[in-house]
Amino acid sequence: MSNNPKTTWHHIRRSPIQSLTALILMTFSFMLVSLFIVVNSGLSKVLVYFETKPEITIFIKDNLPQADIDNLQKDLANYQDVKEIKFISKEKALEIYKQQNKNNPMLTEMVTASILPASFEITVTDPKTLEKIYQNYATNTNVVDEIIYQKDVINSLLDWTNIIRRSGFIITIIVFIISFFSVSTIIGMKTTNRKDEIKISRLLGASKFYVKKPFLLEGIFYGLIGSFIGSILTLTLIYFVRTSINTFFQPVVFIPNELSFYGLVILAQLLLGLIIGFFSSLIGVRRYIKF
Amino acid sequence: MKLVFNNVDKNYGVISALKNINFTVEPGEFVFIVGPSGAGKSTLLKLILNQIKPSNGEIMVDNINLTLGTKQEIDNIRRKIGVIFQDYQLIMDKSIEENIALSLDIVSFPKEKISAKIDEVINQVNLNNRRFLFPSQLSGGELQRAALARALAIEPEIILADEPTGNLDNENSWNLVKLLSNINKNNHATIIMTTHNQEIVNSLDKRQIEIKDGEITHDSNSHQKKAKKDIHSKKHEQ
Repeated sequence: MSNNPKTTWHHIRRSPIQSLTALILMTFSFMLVSLFIVVNSGLSKVLVYFETKPEITIFIKDNLPQADIDNLQKDLANYQDVKEIKFISKEKALEIYKQQNKNNPMLTEMVTASILPASFEITVTDPKTLEKIYQNYATNTNVVDEIIYQKDVINSLLDWTNIIRRSGFIITIIVFIISFFSVSTIIGMKTTNRKDEIKISRLLGASKFYVKKPFLLEGIFYGLIGSFIGSILTLTLIYFVRTSINTFFQPVVFIPNELSFYGLVILAQLLLGLIIGFFSSLIGVRRYIKF
Repeated sequence: MKLVFNNVDKNYGVISALKNINFTVEPGEFVFIVGPSGAGKSTLLKLILNQIKPSNGEIMVDNINLTLGTKQEIDNIRRKIGVIFQDYQLIMDKSIEENIALSLDIVSFPKEKISAKIDEVINQVNLNNRRFLFPSQLSGGELQRAALARALAIEPEIILADEPTGNLDNENSWNLVKLLSNINKNNHATIIMTTHNQEIVNSLDKRQIEIKDGEITHDSNSHQKKAKKDIHSKKHEQ
């Protein structure tokens, strides 16, 4: 029998309730982290989508002469800080609509180009310009049918994203602190329970690292197994409901379909689990076996 | 391994457990530490093992001052010492075999030879049918022999035996002493054994250090040396 992994396994088996508590705490923490990672990645994509979309869309009246359309485009081009002006014809609008709803043939069958308005999508470098464009064209009802100004949408989305990110981050940190100190306390208790064994081993010539190693391995075990189970549980669940979620967020792919994304998340979590397991057990064991 | 006690005192608060202890044990010696209970015999062994520190003086083991030695040096010394504790100090939730294996692992005994070594020492102390049992399942005498097996397994340079015959019947006591004597003779291991079994001490022609109230009252080695010196000087006078 060699010390280390076998001794670690022996420690785990000899106090199953404590071991299970540590494992459940770690698993729960990593379930939350996995969820936070996926939601955060999805929200970032939603934000990027809106931020890179034209920030103001001017829908023009039907049957507007081409000369008026050209004049409008020239006028818009005269604004400072205009980055791009894109004309979306009725046909192009239908194409986009069909692309966006390709999974829902019922919707695409009922729509024709004639009912969709042509529009200008304008992106700018300075958001103040958007406000000026909006003020100037909102009342020009001869040419303009409707203006969709996404300032409020983006601001509101940004606010929500920040709230979700911050609260997700804070909750994750709190849960990690709780599981970190719980594992540390559990390892500390196990060390205390085994103080006679530690004392005997030291008298037989075992170095301090030798007697600490099984406890450090135990912490790493909880970290690795907890992160693995936690990631697998959450990611499996997410993987199976991704279609419904992605349909809701169309055209943004909120939850990636690539398995490499899930592999990467699991790997990152394993690394985090290893670090947390190691340091929590190190602190637990240091309280009783001084360096 | 040479062992030197130089003006060593050990105090527990106002109680003086050992006073001005001076002696040297040469490698391969067999020494009995004798004296009544509470004389300081176990304290002496604890000092050798650096389990406690001396209040004054110095203890040199293998030319290393235990008070000044680094942790690594102390650990290395301990790995060369086989100890039979008075209270056995076996790990309760490990079998006898696992207890022995642990001590072998600590001294980095070659892994492939651990199993054979356990067989050897278990046979030596006649515990073959108890090797898979836990300490709580053994009698006092069996525990003592298990502790001896653990001490022997690491092939130590010094064996410290604290009242090893205390829980043994007469026959097993003699067997244990014979075993220690053979190890001393064949392996040249230094043996330091505390006991108050005067019958055993008298039957073997070994050095005796007698302690009373924390002081050495008799050291047969110094008497032998003095006798040799006297004979030598008388020869010169003639």
